[in-house]
Amino acid sequence: MTTTDVTAAPAVPRPLARQKREKREFGALNGLAHLALLGWAIATAGPLIWVILASFKSNTEIFLGKPFALPSSFSFATYADAWTEANIGQYFLNSVFVVAIGTAGTMLFGSMAAYVLARYEFRGNRFLYYLFVSGLAFPTFMAITPLFFILKNLGLINTFTGLILVYIAYSLPFTVFFLAAFFKSLPHEIDEAATVDGASHTRKFFQIMMPMAKSGLISITIFNIVGQWNQYLLPVAIMQGAGADSKWVLTQGIANISVQAGYHAEWSTLFAALTLTILPMIVVYAIFQRQIQAGLTAGAVK
Amino acid sequence: MYAVDTPPQKTAEPARPEPRRVNRVRRRSQRDARTAWLLSLPTLLILAALLAYPLYRMIVLSFQNMRLRELITGLTPPWVGLDQYTKALTDGVFWGVVARTAAFTVVSVTISVLLGLGIALLMRRVHSKVRLFMMIAMMFVWALPALVAAQAFRWLTDSDFGVLNYLIDKIPGVDFANHSWFVNPWEGWAVITTLVVWAGIPFLAISLSAGLTQVPKELLEAATVDGASAWQSLRNITLPILKPLLTIVTTLSVIWNFGLFTQNWALRDGHPEPVYQTLATFSYTQAFGQSRYSYGSAISVITVLLMLGVMAFYIRQMFKIGEVD
Repeated sequence: MTTTDVTAAPAVPRPLARQKREKREFGALNGLAHLALLGWAIATAGPLIWVILASFKSNTEIFLGKPFALPSSFSFATYADAWTEANIGQYFLNSVFVVAIGTAGTMLFGSMAAYVLARYEFRGNRFLYYLFVSGLAFPTFMAITPLFFILKNLGLINTFTGLILVYIAYSLPFTVFFLAAFFKSLPHEIDEAATVDGASHTRKFFQIMMPMAKSGLISITIFNIVGQWNQYLLPVAIMQGAGADSKWVLTQGIANISVQAGYHAEWSTLFAALTLTILPMIVVYAIFQRQIQAGLTAGAVK
Repeated sequence: MYAVDTPPQKTAEPARPEPRRVNRVRRRSQRDARTAWLLSLPTLLILAALLAYPLYRMIVLSFQNMRLRELITGLTPPWVGLDQYTKALTDGVFWGVVARTAAFTVVSVTISVLLGLGIALLMRRVHSKVRLFMMIAMMFVWALPALVAAQAFRWLTDSDFGVLNYLIDKIPGVDFANHSWFVNPWEGWAVITTLVVWAGIPFLAISLSAGLTQVPKELLEAATVDGASAWQSLRNITLPILKPLLTIVTTLSVIWNFGLFTQNWALRDGHPEPVYQTLATFSYTQAFGQSRYSYGSAISVITVLLMLGVMAFYIRQMFKIGEVD
């Protein structure tokens, strides 16, 4: 806003009073903006804080009728309970394993395909692009029934391999769509220079394109981690059969506690498990903190 | 891309013998094509096996009548032609589900996109520290699995112990103790819509506020100097620049919300009553709950067709935008 006044002042000389009034209007608007965002921040954080608080409370405290009161003591006993007794530890590690391999696979295959679709002119390019991206218009739940039978025939029902492959398949369309647009926007000069200097395809891809596309790759990696961590319907459909409950992912474990909570009344365990699901996001945020902040504040610098 | 197929020698070295160059270029582009197909192959195989083939099987299945017996014995289910489709299309319950899903999609997407855009615009006005804080807070909500968010909302709105009843009950003269939110479908759907909007806004607000950085500041400043109101600047400068991104995120929101499953499923404890059924839960219940696998598939096919019919234009737009360089 200050720049507005600086650049505007010499061009359009205006009475001081009017400028002042405008400034005050901006001030009021900014005040409103802060107020509205404060409201949204409370709406965003409220339920999260309530869940975290409840995870430290005993059953009686949860039902005492003071939802935002601090728990009488902060003990991690409920977390230990959830981790071992409700098997959440096992499910948590299963989820981490599946999502780690699923995201890695998605990024590897997706970036390879997106790169050639964006940077190479070849017969069938458009065909492949539309084929890949049309997967986007395809709601997840639609093919659950036939997907189940196909995996069953392949012997992949109730295996991590099957689940990981399905995760990759469902993540690829958006990854290719996003990365193809991103690779296209990168400058061609450096790429050309490398070609002239005789760099191989592999070298160009790993040493030139990947570093240039870093911000896009990180964004879509986070998007995929979140998306795959989120899945509930796919694992429910795929991880069934004998001994399936040792291979469940976290969301299935939570659904299970939630069903049991109705009978055994172990609500704090449920809330501890709910809190645990957010943990990986904190880890991801800690790892990519610099890039995320750079990406998020990019607009402010401009 | 242009660099690869139009060799730089063309203008730089016109003296080079013509046939040899053509030959070399052709050989290189052939090699490029092979590399390109090779690198696309894993994606092609995975998508063909796990998205395209199931889709094909789903269509085949919808013309058969597969029940539990065929599932267990592995016999080819009898062909029934269009029976499953006529059954669905003449069923009032099915059309009720279609109408409910469509209404929910329209309402939830409209609210989410408007609020998401509003928040993105507001965030341009505040200090960058506040903006960063908001972004991080929203990232956590975005990262929260839908099932977890649904569980949290389920207990927030619980009739006996829920915070919502507790807070509303505090208002003098209002008795909301033990109020059940899912007896009246309007209230129940309000809770579901709030949950979906609450969880959906972060993605929209973060993407749109990234898009807003593409709007040149100089343009907005020039408009302000020329006396344009904030509304005029928004309508005539910001929105046109944001339009491609808005099309993408709106289309994605429609696809996601149309497939609503987890939220109403979890809020109703895995047994949604008829008034809380959406196409996704309806198809799933028919297929897996009632072992009417073919009927469930027919419903899925109809759903895809309905959505593609309504969204064809926008999906086309979205694909085109992705192509723009």
